[in-house]
Amino acid sequence: MSTTETAGYAELLLQGLKQANVEIVAALPESLMIDAYRLIAADPDIRYIQVASELDLPGIMAGAFFGGKRAVMMMENSGLRQGCEPLARLIFGHRIPIVMIMPHRGDLGEYNWWGHGHSLTMAPILQALRIPSWEVYRLEDIQSSVKKALIHADSGQSAVALIFGGECVGVPHYAKD
Amino acid sequence: MQRIDVVRALAPLVAAEDLFISSLGGLRNDWWNHRPGGVDNTFFLSGMGTVSPAALGLAVALPHRRVVALETDGSVLMNTSALCTLGNELPPNLTVFVFDNGVYESIGGLATHTSWRTDLARMAEGAGCINCLTVHDVDAFTVEAERMLTDDEFGFLVAKIEPGINRWPVEKQKITDGIEDKYRFVRHIEQLEGIRTLHPAPGPFA
Repeated sequence: MSTTETAGYAELLLQGLKQANVEIVAALPESLMIDAYRLIAADPDIRYIQVASELDLPGIMAGAFFGGKRAVMMMENSGLRQGCEPLARLIFGHRIPIVMIMPHRGDLGEYNWWGHGHSLTMAPILQALRIPSWEVYRLEDIQSSVKKALIHADSGQSAVALIFGGECVGVPHYAKD
Repeated sequence: MQRIDVVRALAPLVAAEDLFISSLGGLRNDWWNHRPGGVDNTFFLSGMGTVSPAALGLAVALPHRRVVALETDGSVLMNTSALCTLGNELPPNLTVFVFDNGVYESIGGLATHTSWRTDLARMAEGAGCINCLTVHDVDAFTVEAERMLTDDEFGFLVAKIEPGINRWPVEKQKITDGIEDKYRFVRHIEQLEGIRTLHPAPGPFA
């Protein structure tokens, strides 16, 4: 069951996506933003495409872009490792604008031993792929950040990553105080 | 059946107004010289494993438009999870054609898994895709391709072809790169759909 806080970040994200005219969201759901995936998938105004591997996400973003639709991909930050090859192809080979949202698994206080590597590899991979990224840690920044990320990707014909943390991710039940 | 035979059979079955996402490799020049209308209706993707996902995204974005993916065995094998995503979405305006020559031709012809035990049509079917078939000759390809392109359902047709590269004279070869291809494809769709995808910068001169 969600807490009020997690539902809050998810609702703000959904509203932010709608305000930015995002019509397609493709995602591989994970635990830190699970309320967001549930909300977005159930929303009638957004076409939600669930994938089985992050390998699919960049291509789907490219197709949506070609079709003139604003789209966002969501995944755990470990998905950068899985999606590295298609991202590199589309960014360097074709300069496809891609907006991605991911939680900062492995952030300060990470309680899972396997999560630390997600954080340690995230920044170097973003840098290697020349993907500029911004942290979104406060609820009041969610909607403006989504809007700005889409503008940034559009005007720069580039990929942009938003790293959600702090107030902007949920806390799994096993990690609550 | 050679790749060029399949391309020649497919070209009259599709229209200039359709949109195509294609692999590179041997398909590049074969399809470039047979794309309907000779317009910028085809995007040639450099990334193996990305063709079907991009075609899916395009088909979802433009559900009224017929979208065709021109895949290869090497590309499908590189990202088999895409079959599951296709199988769960099944966009009715998307048909996937797989040119399955059983080899990595561009690197010298070493075998792919489809030369041995892997059956892509059966994999697609198991992943939830519908209308999954394999054909071995041009007549069968023509019949099945025409049906899949007109039935308003998702389709996945594997054409088993012999290895071999059709040599094109220099003046017939596609010479644009991936970035020019992007702009040409987007401009084509903007005109086709009456939409604006690439926006001018705001400001006093906008």
